Amino acid sequence: MQQFSVHKIGPEIKIAGIDLSFTNASLFMIISASAILLFLFLGTKEKKIIPSKIQLIAEMFYTFVAKMISDTAGSKAKPYFPFIFSLFMFVLFCNMVGMLPYSFTVTSHIIVTLVMALFIFIAVTIIGFVKHGFKYLSIFVPSGVPAVLLPLITIIEIISYLSRPVSLSVRLFANMMAGHTMLKVFGGFVISLGLLGGWLPLSFSVALTGLEILVAFLQAYVFAILTCIYLNDALNLHH
Amino acid sequence: MHRYFGIIIVLSAIQNDLFAAEAGMPQLNPKYWASQAFWLILVFTILYISIAKFYLPKIKNNLDNRENRIKDDLEDANKFKELSESKQKEYEKILEDAKKEINKIHVESKNTLDKDIYTKKQSIEKEIEKEISKAQKEISDLKKNSVSDIQKISENIASDIIEKISGDKLNESSIKATVEDLSKKNMGKYL
Repeated sequence: MQQFSVHKIGPEIKIAGIDLSFTNASLFMIISASAILLFLFLGTKEKKIIPSKIQLIAEMFYTFVAKMISDTAGSKAKPYFPFIFSLFMFVLFCNMVGMLPYSFTVTSHIIVTLVMALFIFIAVTIIGFVKHGFKYLSIFVPSGVPAVLLPLITIIEIISYLSRPVSLSVRLFANMMAGHTMLKVFGGFVISLGLLGGWLPLSFSVALTGLEILVAFLQAYVFAILTCIYLNDALNLHH
Repeated sequence: MHRYFGIIIVLSAIQNDLFAAEAGMPQLNPKYWASQAFWLILVFTILYISIAKFYLPKIKNNLDNRENRIKDDLEDANKFKELSESKQKEYEKILEDAKKEINKIHVESKNTLDKDIYTKKQSIEKEIEKEISKAQKEISDLKKNSVSDIQKISENIASDIIEKISGDKLNESSIKATVEDLSKKNMGKYL
């Protein structure tokens, strides 16, 4: 599992006794972010009425995320559009950059996805309390539930709410790690089976690469849309 | 060939040995967790700020521009369509009026022409009749005159002839009477 190992690049940086050294993970975060910024720079360089190809792609991403937000969280979520857009682009580009050979997949690390998920969880909870005050707690008490079941349902709701950051982070991390591990395993089969039997795992590897690219996109989409759904719960109390 | 694969297998074994220290999941090693979290927050914050402040407004601006342009163009197209329709109607009306006018002018001109032709024809006919009667009169005058002239000439010729032949001069009144008598008899032959 060498591809997942984090190692230091350059000198050790220690602030208040905490090791904050620049690592290959940091490098690939910067590469992904730079790729996004470069893509957006090229996509907004020329403001044509009839867009160029890269401008069209940038605008498609914009409308795609805008539609996703308005469909799931409504018009109230408009101020959070830049955050969701950045999040989607960042996760997507990290996943996609991770698909390149010899690169490092930032999102295949639980700590990275957990930080993002925890930030979203805490932010959504704060937004909920700011918008609705203590009425936000009614999210744990669904309407139309028989009184007998209410305590049980409330406990389940609280657990499901609290497990949101875990499910959100583990989903992305596990998908990325599992995909890359699978590619590694099949790659290893190609070597060990040699010229005679290696063709089968090789063709599997090719197919898996395609699948992984799909998963990379899908997981970025799922991450963004779940954020939208959580935001929707905080903005529009349904219960 | 076999040696080549052997080398690869040995190399991969060495590689596995080299990283045996990292066996298991490096993700669960907390050594660089703080670093990853720190760099993630840093990088993502910068990304978020530059996207939110620079790129999204640009894209939104451009999309709005395009939408407005399309709306304006559609409005213009509608306006022009209405304009062209009204112009078409106007044109058709003008065409119809012109056709009516043509018909009117045609009928009118035909009538005037007919009238003109009729009057001209009549006047010409009258003139012709006049000319004819004048000519007839002239002819009859000429006839009358010619008769008396011929009589005179024949009287003179006759007296001259008689004088030449006989040497005598005849009574002019008797000659006149004979010429008159002869000419009356033979007038029908010449006139």
